[in-house]
Amino acid sequence: MKILSHCYLAALIPVLSTAPLCAEEPAAKNVQTAADNTGTTLFEEKILPALKEHCYACHSKAAETTEGGLELDSPLGLMRGGDSGPMFKAHETEENHLLQMLRHHDDVSAMPPEEKLPAEIIAAFEQWIRLGAPDSREDSGPTAKEQRLGRAKQHWAFQPPKVTALPVVKNNAWAHDKMIDTFVLAAIEAEGMKPVGDANRQTLIRRLYFDLVGLPPAPQDVDRFVPDQASDAVEKLVDRLLNSPQFGERWGRHWLDVVRFAESSGMEFNFTYPHAWPFRNYVFDAFNADKPFDEFLREQIAGDLLPNEGKQSPALVEARQIATSVLAFGPKRHNSSGTEFQMDIADDQINVVFKSTLAMTVSCARCHDHKFDPIPTTDYYGLAGIFLSTEPLYGTIKQKYSNTPTDLLPIGENAQAKHEAIKKYDAELAVAEKLLTAKREELKKARDAQEVAAKEKTSADKLLAAVTARQDATEASSADTTGQDARSELDRAVAKLTASTTAVATLKAEFRKVEGAVAKLRKNTLPRPHYAMSVRDRAKPADTKLAIRGDFRNRGDVVPRGFLSAVNVPDAATIDLTSSGRLQLANWIASPENPLTARVMVNRIWHHLFGRGIVSTVDNFGVIGKPPTHPKLLDMLALRFVDDGWSVKRMVRAIVLSRAYQLSSHASEQNMAIDPDNRLLWRTTPRRLEAETIRDAILTVSGQLNLQRPEGSTVTGLGDKLVRSIAPEKIQPASNHRSVYLPVVRDYVPELFDLFDFPSPSLVSGHRAVTNVPSQSLYLRNSAFVADQANLAAARLLASAEATDDTQRAALAMRWALGRTPSGIERDAALQLVNAVRQEEADSKEKVQAVPDRAAWSAWFLTLFTTAEFRYLADIDI
Amino acid sequence: MKNMSANPTVSRRGWLQAASCGLGALTVNGLAPSRASAGLLSPRGPHFTGKAKRVIFLFMAGGPSQFESFDYKPMLKKAGGKKGMKKGTLLAPQANFARHGESGMWISDAFPHLAKQADQLCMLNAMSGPSRAHPIAVPMLHTGEFQFVRPSFGSWVLYGLGSENQDLPGFFTIKPTRTFGGPANYGSAFLPSTFQATRLGWEGQAVKNAGISNLTSHHGLSRDSASRSLKLAQLMNQRLLSQTEDVRGAIDSLELSDRMQSAVPRVLDISGESKETLAAYGVGAGRTDDFGRQCLLARRLVESGVRFVEVSCNGWDHHSNLDKFKSKAEEIDQPIAALLADLQQRGLLDDTLVLWTGEFGRTPETQVLEGEEKIGRDHNAEGYTAWLAGGGVRGGLTHGTTDELGYAATDGNVHLHDLHATMLHLLGFDHTKLVYRYGGRDFRLTNIHGDVVPEIFA
Repeated sequence: MKILSHCYLAALIPVLSTAPLCAEEPAAKNVQTAADNTGTTLFEEKILPALKEHCYACHSKAAETTEGGLELDSPLGLMRGGDSGPMFKAHETEENHLLQMLRHHDDVSAMPPEEKLPAEIIAAFEQWIRLGAPDSREDSGPTAKEQRLGRAKQHWAFQPPKVTALPVVKNNAWAHDKMIDTFVLAAIEAEGMKPVGDANRQTLIRRLYFDLVGLPPAPQDVDRFVPDQASDAVEKLVDRLLNSPQFGERWGRHWLDVVRFAESSGMEFNFTYPHAWPFRNYVFDAFNADKPFDEFLREQIAGDLLPNEGKQSPALVEARQIATSVLAFGPKRHNSSGTEFQMDIADDQINVVFKSTLAMTVSCARCHDHKFDPIPTTDYYGLAGIFLSTEPLYGTIKQKYSNTPTDLLPIGENAQAKHEAIKKYDAELAVAEKLLTAKREELKKARDAQEVAAKEKTSADKLLAAVTARQDATEASSADTTGQDARSELDRAVAKLTASTTAVATLKAEFRKVEGAVAKLRKNTLPRPHYAMSVRDRAKPADTKLAIRGDFRNRGDVVPRGFLSAVNVPDAATIDLTSSGRLQLANWIASPENPLTARVMVNRIWHHLFGRGIVSTVDNFGVIGKPPTHPKLLDMLALRFVDDGWSVKRMVRAIVLSRAYQLSSHASEQNMAIDPDNRLLWRTTPRRLEAETIRDAILTVSGQLNLQRPEGSTVTGLGDKLVRSIAPEKIQPASNHRSVYLPVVRDYVPELFDLFDFPSPSLVSGHRAVTNVPSQSLYLRNSAFVADQANLAAARLLASAEATDDTQRAALAMRWALGRTPSGIERDAALQLVNAVRQEEADSKEKVQAVPDRAAWSAWFLTLFTTAEFRYLADIDI
Repeated sequence: MKNMSANPTVSRRGWLQAASCGLGALTVNGLAPSRASAGLLSPRGPHFTGKAKRVIFLFMAGGPSQFESFDYKPMLKKAGGKKGMKKGTLLAPQANFARHGESGMWISDAFPHLAKQADQLCMLNAMSGPSRAHPIAVPMLHTGEFQFVRPSFGSWVLYGLGSENQDLPGFFTIKPTRTFGGPANYGSAFLPSTFQATRLGWEGQAVKNAGISNLTSHHGLSRDSASRSLKLAQLMNQRLLSQTEDVRGAIDSLELSDRMQSAVPRVLDISGESKETLAAYGVGAGRTDDFGRQCLLARRLVESGVRFVEVSCNGWDHHSNLDKFKSKAEEIDQPIAALLADLQQRGLLDDTLVLWTGEFGRTPETQVLEGEEKIGRDHNAEGYTAWLAGGGVRGGLTHGTTDELGYAATDGNVHLHDLHATMLHLLGFDHTKLVYRYGGRDFRLTNIHGDVVPEIFA
């Protein structure tokens, strides 16, 4: 089957497609010849008027958009061609792409699209090209493309962050964190607004718990914190949460969204990736250990290449290799192979690395210069060379639709030795099993032969008996040949049977022996190491050629490996050509001088704590990304982040201790009139919890949550398979572990995830959508999971010594779920519900409840889980 | 593909400018997620008034043969057994063709019921797609892309038009395939999840056993208690309204879920249909029962205001056993004919666009698979047949031809992107303007391709 790539198609059917031809400088202008003169006249009389009349509307500086990147209003633009390079060469005699378009050939874009130019004009173009395509116009300054590039390079995000003095504010006493709060307050005051008051303690502890560890606080925690008047009470709470292992799980999951972590290949075939999970643990551990963010990035991009001066522990060396699996678990079409497969992988790697670290959509430049950002295709192919020189190690086995298995990285104690031993063992076992199968076959054949021989003997016996009987009856002469024949036939049959019986016996013994050996091998199974995905440099790293219009079959010039030309990182190391260049790329990205990296991460942290980034388009800091609401603060935070050793924990700490973070969610009418979207952070915007947090909160209330980290992943046990061949319930078996440990199989995430906007793990997602759809309500009201947990919560409530009567129980249930006690109306309604269910239970004689009253109280929990309050972070009004 | 504008007298640029009304702000800026909520599914006006308001997509998974169905090839009949242009020998059509209806449309005797609806069909005999490999062609047909995960056709339509019935999901897929992209074929990718399809059953499951999850309480609460619980939750939700309007979405969605709980089973329950209707669709009649039920459900869903319904039928990949084509056709012939007649009778056909297609068609040559005795045909995406009905297309029209043996489209070619563009046009959209901004770029169903085919408009 011939498989065409997307970009190959793009090359065939673009809005404007031009054939690949080598660039050539326009004919030198200073040598005037007769041909030039004729050509120039032709240009001025025929070509230029045609260009002006028929082409400039879409292909000039003055055009609204320059279609296909083609500018025909300057000699430079005309010869340079559009996105796919020059359309013709001067002096060319055979038919070129320009002429094909003018002649409205099939498979090229007919130009002008509405109507063909008169034949005489097309002939003039042909002749003019043959005459060397002289162009009498002067290049009037930079072309639109160059202008755009120049402007784009001035874009704020490419300039280094600057130190700014703190602004002057009216209310000097307001700030907790001098830097954050002064900038925030100044912006609020500048609009004539005042921030709302602080959130109460109940609200604050709930907000901190969910934001930092993704779990609700227990009532005891609330009781301890609320009355604590110590000046460092909040700090102490924050530090405790930052140091809890749940912090890494909560914040690591944010990063897993960004790097589209998943445990299967997705796309049309979707193979399991049983060995993706070590990366998940690596990320959680990194956030818990507060690994400096620059180092964290270096490890993911080039952990396998980081210099090891012998000082690093084996565990660190291994963790660094695991870190690179981010380059291996991307979505892949395993049935394709060769250049196309490698180009697609490199594209995914470029996409994930640049969106996650720099919030740049570099992949757009695969087929054409970036439409908005200063990223030419040459930048893309400079990076592609780096990634094509890298071999992704994603595992999988060779099977139908999977042509391209690779090695994996053995991990854990004595991993390499274990791996070698198990490889040897597997090979031995395979040989033995093969032999066993062969022996079984042989034995079967021998038994068949024995059966045949036995039958033959039986018939020989019968024949002889018959012959003897006849002889007896007739007393025939002793010279009866038939009798002799029958006897010798019987002798033959007996001999055959004896031989075949011996053969069976021999083979049986052999089979038993082999069978024994196999059984022994199977019994003495060796410990298998864990495995991880990773990458390594290819044996021969090399630059790659530009693929015109993204079509790898249509190659342009070789592009030297390099970084983004518009992003200036002073003193960046040049690429070591004997390696892929990933290490230098990693250092270039994780450099304190890179204007984007720190800003992008600080903005991601801000986004998770305020619900919106200072730059709201968290994955796009490019020209069409949204401008920052607080540009100076963003710069200052980025500088602070780097100065503070790229510590995520300290940045999170600073932000949650700021006054801006601790505001109430209640709106003020005056402010609503000025800034209804709360862009300037005059209050805390209420936020919906994420899918994982909703599930974990339910399990916390029911008392079922298991905070232990499970070993490996469900997917590991499933083995290398097509996902569609696995029963859905095996992909997502029941589990009480934290949601971050549920398997992330592309297209088969847990139902609750799917409903509550878990992002597609095939896409880089720094920002999750928030929807409110009825299927969510149906899930909360009716699903087996929520019903089970409501029942378990009810049993827990009934067993609790903290509540001894209905009123107390109604209140305690609400404290578990919402962190507050019910109002009078709520309490009465809850008790009515409980009593109504109780009555129904009493009326129904059939049911005998294992736990009396459980159904009644579980109805109350079900109600609590259904409320908006359960899944929103908002003010708790006491 | 030729550059063809819907209105040949307007220049392309003029055309683009003229069409930039309607969705305007919504599509240019994308949807602000915090504002999203329940309002996402409210009915919306398209760019211009479209003839079609909803879509029924009959997906024939595997790639049904055009030579045994809707592409009449007398020359192939004559040339059967001779050497073909590619590797194999030519295989004469394994069905007989006759003209049907006032239009005299050629339809094979594998579709006797559908033949009676010939004048409703707009036959596209010169379809083409990018690939004759299932894994590429299936996502291509469903999402306009195969390289990346992109929103499905149905989710684009729902995103553009919203839903007419707020008690039901706006996009259903009945018995979808789990292969070749599986859920991505009806997912919403980067569009809000509201726009993804609600799935009823899986491929291989009898539709009468298929259900929608969480419509009934696992908890076992009585109706009274469930309603008491709902009221109490809503009472508590009111408290939060002063802090965020988003809670309005949560309140609405709770109400909606309550209505869905009764509306969905109602719409899926076909027991109230008359005996005549059930018989017309072939429900309860062996071979036609399952697909008949699916078609009937499709009618019930669109009739209730669902915007997009996809109905799948697998088993059309006749590499061998082409002799079974007619019995496969029998499964769908009567049900589809009944669906068209039923829509017509209810006055729904005029604004319901029905699409029948596989992910590609088949070659005119014989294929003999190793180990198989029965012959078949291999895949072909360079020229195959799909048809449209209702929703503003010209019934009885046969558009486009392949070469006389049926290898490739020669005239009136409709590429998959063109089909998408044309269907969006019929729904009232300029396909270049129905966009969603994701990751810094405006995405659309037709990527950078697609030309509307105005020749097939009524």
